[in-house]
Amino acid sequence: MADASLQGKLIEFKGASLAVMTASLRDTDAVRLADALHMMLGGMPDFFAGEPAILDFAQLASAPERVDWTAILSLLRRYQVQPIGVRRLPEHLVEGARRAGLAVLGSSDLSGERPLGAPQVMPQTPPPVAAPAPAPVEPPPAAAAAPAPAPELEQAPVAPTLIVDRPLRSGQQVYAKGGDLVLLAGMSPGSEIIADGSIHCYGPLRGRALAGARGDTSARIFSTNFGPELVSIAGVYRTFERGIPQSVGGRSAQVRLTGTDNLHTLEIIALQSS
Amino acid sequence: MARVIVVTSGKGGVGKTTTSASISTGLALRGFKTAVIDFDVGLRNLDLIMGCERRVVYDLINVVNGEANLNQALIKDKHCDNLFVLPASQTRDKDALTEEGVEKVLKDLVHMGFDYVVCDSPAGIERGAVMALTFADDAFIVTNPEVSSVRDSDRILGILQSKSRRAIEGREPVKEHLLVSRYSPKRVEDGEMLSYKDVQELLRIPLIGVIPESDDVLQASNQGTPAIHLKDSDVATAYQDVVARYLDEERPLRFVAYEKPGLLKRLFGGK
Repeated sequence: MADASLQGKLIEFKGASLAVMTASLRDTDAVRLADALHMMLGGMPDFFAGEPAILDFAQLASAPERVDWTAILSLLRRYQVQPIGVRRLPEHLVEGARRAGLAVLGSSDLSGERPLGAPQVMPQTPPPVAAPAPAPVEPPPAAAAAPAPAPELEQAPVAPTLIVDRPLRSGQQVYAKGGDLVLLAGMSPGSEIIADGSIHCYGPLRGRALAGARGDTSARIFSTNFGPELVSIAGVYRTFERGIPQSVGGRSAQVRLTGTDNLHTLEIIALQSS
Repeated sequence: MARVIVVTSGKGGVGKTTTSASISTGLALRGFKTAVIDFDVGLRNLDLIMGCERRVVYDLINVVNGEANLNQALIKDKHCDNLFVLPASQTRDKDALTEEGVEKVLKDLVHMGFDYVVCDSPAGIERGAVMALTFADDAFIVTNPEVSSVRDSDRILGILQSKSRRAIEGREPVKEHLLVSRYSPKRVEDGEMLSYKDVQELLRIPLIGVIPESDDVLQASNQGTPAIHLKDSDVATAYQDVVARYLDEERPLRFVAYEKPGLLKRLFGGK
């Protein structure tokens, strides 16, 4: 006979927070949604890499009689989006969503939504042209294509900062997904650090540093001892074949993108140390 | 409690086997029961350096495969009572090494009462090198004062931090010791070589010693005697210092300063 008190421990329910993306749908027709997704992501089908999403229907142009949930869910999964719930769905459609296995959220359950900047480039592949680099894919501006339904993507809240407190050795690679990266003991030549946000390196910056990996052009790279092999922000990169500029070599420096959407350049500026 | 020491480098030809032979001898001379194992399957040379190549009957692979037991394979060193050598196989290759097999060998050595087990790693970052470092408690990173050796040492440090059992199980990490070998203070002075301080600054691990470049090493391996046995040799003294520092004794750093020889010496020869 199993001990009843022991059985309680087989599953434990706890409260936790989740950083999640929302997808606002203006239409529920799977065919039209498929076209819109293809226009937006056709060249980057793996962009979302299995991220969970809440489907938000506040912007539905008109509420249909019924929704083919199977079609919508399989379409989203094909683009590696994992739908986990719905919100602001017209009342008569809620039962269908429940039966499709989606959680039904109240409108106050979610907070902190922020608009996403245009996704410009995949994390792994810097464009083959050095600064200034053209953005390889531009999603269709929502206004231009008349009533064409476009799932509008909103950015997930930022993930906690990833902190690395041991020196990063040659051949090692760290990826701070959804947030900033802090290195407390520097990095060796031949190592690589990637962050969706900014990079802060205390100690020698000697390898490859790629910030704003998902296209965040406001990301920066900060270092107390500047000497990398390659730096990149949102895909705009620079190598140092002719050496590190004297004004910043071995000193505190920051790297940031300047210029407009079409013509970004990297600038590297020495920082004042007190 | 027994300690497993790996002597590794990434780069080839920097002095791992020379170091393994001398360190294990040094520990044995201090009274500790010590075993030294050659992990370079197929390219064995620890037996040559130790001078026991004609007494090899069974090897590490035989033991891993259960074809012989440790007592049959371990070779007692001719110079030193407390020291035993476990040679590598020459006819097989590194695929014959398994993690479970190596783990069992090390556990059995501990049960037999060994205080220290020195693992002589092959060059590279493949299976043999990874097997040698997997169960290590201490690591001697042998580095020559030149750029490619430093980079390879950095690489092997990264692998040590990710593939050792201590790292995987989240225990206290492997203790890293930098050993700069084949050091020539004159060449450092001339700017041809990195100084030991440069190497330490690049690798950022504690320095356990500097071994000077010397013809004595070649002589010692030809004789089949670990360099630490040589009389009146800077290399021998340097290795003794390393063993002492490993055992927490203080020793000043020697053989790192370049002294320009006097006029007479320069006229009549000498370095």
